[in-house]
Amino acid sequence: MVLRAEDIHKSYGETAVLKGISFEVGRGETKVICGPSGAGKSTLLRCLNLLTRPDRGCVWLEDVELTSPSVNINEMRQKIGFVFQEFNLFNHLTALDNVMIGLTRVKKMPKNEAKRIAEEKLLTVHITEDLWNKYPAQLSGGQKQRVAIARALAMDPVIILYDEPTSALDPHLIGEVLEVMKELARKKITGLVVTHEIGFALSVADEIMFMYDGRILERGPPKEVVFNPKYEETARFFKRISELYGVRR
Amino acid sequence: MSFWEVFLPALLRGFIETLKILAIAAPISVAWGVVLGSARVYGNRFVSLLAAGIVGLFRGFPLIVTLLIIFFGLAELGIYLTPFWAAVLGFILCSGAYQSEYVRGAIRSVDVGQSLAARALGMSKTQELLYVILPQALRRALPGISNEIIYMIKYSSLAYIVGVVEMFSVSKHFNSLYFRPIEIFFTVAIIYLAMTTSATISFKLLESKLRIPGLEVEV
Repeated sequence: MVLRAEDIHKSYGETAVLKGISFEVGRGETKVICGPSGAGKSTLLRCLNLLTRPDRGCVWLEDVELTSPSVNINEMRQKIGFVFQEFNLFNHLTALDNVMIGLTRVKKMPKNEAKRIAEEKLLTVHITEDLWNKYPAQLSGGQKQRVAIARALAMDPVIILYDEPTSALDPHLIGEVLEVMKELARKKITGLVVTHEIGFALSVADEIMFMYDGRILERGPPKEVVFNPKYEETARFFKRISELYGVRR
Repeated sequence: MSFWEVFLPALLRGFIETLKILAIAAPISVAWGVVLGSARVYGNRFVSLLAAGIVGLFRGFPLIVTLLIIFFGLAELGIYLTPFWAAVLGFILCSGAYQSEYVRGAIRSVDVGQSLAARALGMSKTQELLYVILPQALRRALPGISNEIIYMIKYSSLAYIVGVVEMFSVSKHFNSLYFRPIEIFFTVAIIYLAMTTSATISFKLLESKLRIPGLEVEV
């Protein structure tokens, strides 16, 4: 098991956002979390690398309990890639430096070695050499998100968490990002993806977890959950999503 | 010897003294401002409160009073500073307090996503500040920082109050000897103007050198 969440609870004031979430992701698996907005998907993802501290419950990464107070969370976060909806590339750094900075500053790797790895990862996400010295503001949304994926990959994480990675993109740029994510899934890079892209889930996910009102209401093989859901809420959600987004394969 | 033959060499020595004060006080006050501003945003409750106290104090005191306290007050406590170093210390404390506010504002203006991304990579708070936040914040703080340095060029003349023989003190002295206020103070004013103008131009150049391609709106 790469990642295991056990009974995660999180409230903001009176509002309970997560009401006891448990699941696990095995090595090489890709799991998809979907659900209506406000269901707590982003909060859950942030609880997993403790960008937000859960009120209750445990998170395990391999055999370390992240939520234990004695754990050096900075060290553990190096092993958890995180891809944001809004990319969050470092604005003052070129594409190449964005991918290198974690290696040189956090992993204290020599510069030339970091550069070699960064270049390799940028090529993995199809960012060609002509873009390496561009700054984020000079890149398209799709390019930015792929650089962000390369930045996560470069750290050699045991899992990558994706928080609605295509939701901020123009429709014609979504494909290039999903394509990269699918390639990574097929290479058995462990991933946990919050997304509304049902096509992505159907083609590479090992499991879909449908979140509703702070709980995982239903989970199972993508085809089953999408086409043959047990609950009314799940059915309504997927019907609405396929009307809005269509199913991209 | 004519008036100018006596005045100009003396003024030059005063000018050099002014430059010496600025050359030490300006960079250190910026650095001190960065430390204070960062401490207020990134420090724990104690550090942040301490920094806020220091800023409140030296922004609240009139500079002239700060200078007198440092020079005469410290002497009474047995700490003797030369006029030069008393002035430099006073300028650093006062200017650093103002600088810290520009820095604090700039740090706050950096998108929170930048911090989240830094932390998600495994950076410590210090690494996040040094490698992600400050490089962006200081670029934004630059107009404010240059503003404050231009102030300092002018209020460096207050060093005369503790007995530093800098440019203004020389001209004041000469005016009481010769009483030619127009020539004397106009000359001094022009020199200050030249200094502030070169500072303005230098900061403009620095700003454009540090510009992040694609980030600013082209006009």
